[in-house]
Amino acid sequence: MGHHGTNPAKESALSDPPPVSADPILVALGSEARTLRMVHTGFRMAREQGRPWVAVHVEVPDWETAMEKDQARVWLQEARDLGAETAWVRASTVSDGLIAEGTRRKVAQVVMGKYRPAGPWDRLEHTRAQEAIRRTLGVRIVAIPLDTARAGSVQGGADLLGIVLAIGALLGVCTIFAMALYTVVGFPGVPPVFALGVGFIAHRWGRAFSVPASFAVVLAFASWFIPGRFPYLPGDWTNGLYLAGALILVQMVVLLVDSLHRETRSLRRREAETLLVMLLGRALGRCSTAREVAEVLAERLHGLFQAEAWMLVPGEGDTWRQLPEAPEAPPSPRPSELLPQFSDNATRPEPFEPLFMNACTYVALAGQGGAEGLLQLSLDGGRPLLQESWGLFQSLAVQGALALERVRYLEAAQQARLDTESERMRNTLLGAVSHDLRTPLAAIQGAASSLLLPEPLPEETRTDLLAMIRDESERLARLLSDLLDLTRLQSGTIRIQKEWQLLDEVVGAAVLRMEARKGPLPIRVDLPESLPLVPLDGALMEQVLINLLSNAHRHAPDSPVELRAWEEPGTIQMEIADRGPGIPAEFHQRVFDKFFRMPKDLKDGGVGLGLAICGAIVKIHGGAIWVEDRPGGGARFRVSLPLDGLPPSPCETETLLPTLDAPP
Amino acid sequence: MSQPLILIIEDEASLRRFLVPTLANNDYQVLTAANGTDGLAMARTHNPDIILLDLGLPDLEGGKVLQSLRQWSRKPIIIISARNQEKDKVQALDLGADDYLTKPFGAEELLARIRVALRHATQAVLDTPVLQCGALRLDLERREVTMDGVPVRLTPLEYRLLEALAQRAGKVATHAQLLNEVWGPVGAGQTHYLRIYMGTLRRKIEPDATRPRYLLTEPSIGYRLNVD
Repeated sequence: MGHHGTNPAKESALSDPPPVSADPILVALGSEARTLRMVHTGFRMAREQGRPWVAVHVEVPDWETAMEKDQARVWLQEARDLGAETAWVRASTVSDGLIAEGTRRKVAQVVMGKYRPAGPWDRLEHTRAQEAIRRTLGVRIVAIPLDTARAGSVQGGADLLGIVLAIGALLGVCTIFAMALYTVVGFPGVPPVFALGVGFIAHRWGRAFSVPASFAVVLAFASWFIPGRFPYLPGDWTNGLYLAGALILVQMVVLLVDSLHRETRSLRRREAETLLVMLLGRALGRCSTAREVAEVLAERLHGLFQAEAWMLVPGEGDTWRQLPEAPEAPPSPRPSELLPQFSDNATRPEPFEPLFMNACTYVALAGQGGAEGLLQLSLDGGRPLLQESWGLFQSLAVQGALALERVRYLEAAQQARLDTESERMRNTLLGAVSHDLRTPLAAIQGAASSLLLPEPLPEETRTDLLAMIRDESERLARLLSDLLDLTRLQSGTIRIQKEWQLLDEVVGAAVLRMEARKGPLPIRVDLPESLPLVPLDGALMEQVLINLLSNAHRHAPDSPVELRAWEEPGTIQMEIADRGPGIPAEFHQRVFDKFFRMPKDLKDGGVGLGLAICGAIVKIHGGAIWVEDRPGGGARFRVSLPLDGLPPSPCETETLLPTLDAPP
Repeated sequence: MSQPLILIIEDEASLRRFLVPTLANNDYQVLTAANGTDGLAMARTHNPDIILLDLGLPDLEGGKVLQSLRQWSRKPIIIISARNQEKDKVQALDLGADDYLTKPFGAEELLARIRVALRHATQAVLDTPVLQCGALRLDLERREVTMDGVPVRLTPLEYRLLEALAQRAGKVATHAQLLNEVWGPVGAGQTHYLRIYMGTLRRKIEPDATRPRYLLTEPSIGYRLNVD
């Protein structure tokens, strides 16, 4: 490591960082499982300091395996989920990459993992890299201790001739040293020198090179030293054996270290996989529809394998549908043909290995109660999935299947609840409506039929009957529109259209509509001029006010109804207060129920829908409505509406028009 | 004017049964059509003074009928529609309808709307620059607003807003129409501008801003300058 001066080639997930108010924190992510801690540390630090953060993975050529790269992508995804921008940088060294990315984004701080150094040289190298970053960027470096040794270097496609030459040179140097030592201390100086050399070869290039190297050393020793080519060297076969023994010992140690190394790597990979599955499980737990499950799974699989993924699940009747719908999945055989377990008499699908056909890899989404469908994975260039990734792929599929199953049960439960609810609702509705519709209808029918009688009625009676027909039909119309409103509000078919409005206007419209119906009413309105614009649906909120005001008026016809509004942080509060008999505390909740009427009001012709409508409307505004006792007697209805969203930009200010003849 | 001719395009027989005698009894000549195609044909042959158009016709969409009518006729058109069709109403008004009535409606309301529409149609010919409604007097030529003879001082935008309403005196003006006439293209969609200026205008003109007498709100649709 440490070839400074080479230009790092960069590949960044985002072309240009967006302008931000504060300089970001840069978090350097590796590929190991412990990296997740770095992600969480970065997120915490960014939140504490109120800065944005950037998660960066530096790809150094020939350093990581494909599997480790996949893992690094997952950590980046996790960082993205926690609000980070992410970048994947290619550079010749980690510090080069971090410096390049740090300079580009003008970072305020760099967070790196602190590994347990593998040796003094590693410690030195580490300190040197940190120092270079600190100096070049001029920022503080925070090192997070990660109690794991750094992943060892991995030799990929290195040049064979180069390695052989390097080993040759190394052994040459060893020979010179050995000969020099030999002249001083005699033969005992020779084996340690070669043992060191062979040990280094084993460590650096692996057994494939160290075993031939030790053979070469022993052979060379045997052919050069023993036969007495150099007369001053006493040919001694025991020395040769001793040397061979020392080299075998070194081989064994190296073997042991190697296997430990491999073990650590696979352990670390399993740890990472467990975390992956855990993270996926968490993300899937938040899904409430099959589509969301498919989207999460596709996103994770894309992050992991750089592949497109789809769920093939049973659709209407005999069909299959793909999720997510876009992009179009490559054509696949019919899932039911692909999986014999899918046929009707299937009991449980056997866990089976991924199947590769038509350039896609398939695995069953095997849930608890049977196969939920298929998972289709399409890698770049139609490659099959590497066998070492099968286990992970299968675990992810199982997670997806369980999530699908959960979603299905959830939907079924919801549907059942809905069915009972609507059944109950229908019964109540029928009972209440048939009574309330019949009363005005009876009056209308009666009045109309007596008007049609052959005997002429006195003019006064005629007018009276006609007025009754008009009033009763108005009542019918109101009842019908109330019912319609409530049904639509509760079924969610009403789309609320929030607009920024002056409360004055909504209150004005409500009061005017009531007075148009009933003549002047004693309603006192107190709205401060300083009230802000409120985001609400004017027509719906007008209905709320009309219902509350007419209730108040009906219960206290002789005293004024008072309407006030004021602003509290984040909300607008409204109050409609009367001096009527008030509402007993035990009914404070129930007055907002459908068809609820207080026992004493059963005869007053109301249906018990008004307050239910108010409740439904306030609810879809995200607000709250409740009733309290008014100090001094009477009821006080309170409405609280959220002032959410951004208030609209204010209009331009203007000066008064210079009127032609008005005095200034 | 002699008896004005009213064309009713309405598919519901019971409503026609109510409309025809009511209007005939109030000195209007009445023609009826039960669907859009017949309605369009009758409008061409008889050139009525005013048209009542139901938006929910069996054969043609109300909006389509309105568009065809507006291609050649400038006569007032009043939309009749059911409740909860605010979008359709706004669309129809923006397409050039003069006013709307929501079912169910009473005879008085109907007659009042027809009177306003007809008066407006004749007034447009006279082109009176002065509008008097109650205590409010608006002189469009001198750009002068008075309440009981006392000048009201308005900002340029407030004045333009009042002027835009006055040009449709008695008829409803949609949010989009007002925004376009007062703010131009910048105003499109900025309904809150309108609400803020309507608020300040009301405080200057209305004796009681919570019980507006002149500047009436038509919820979800627009505003109306009351001339009665």
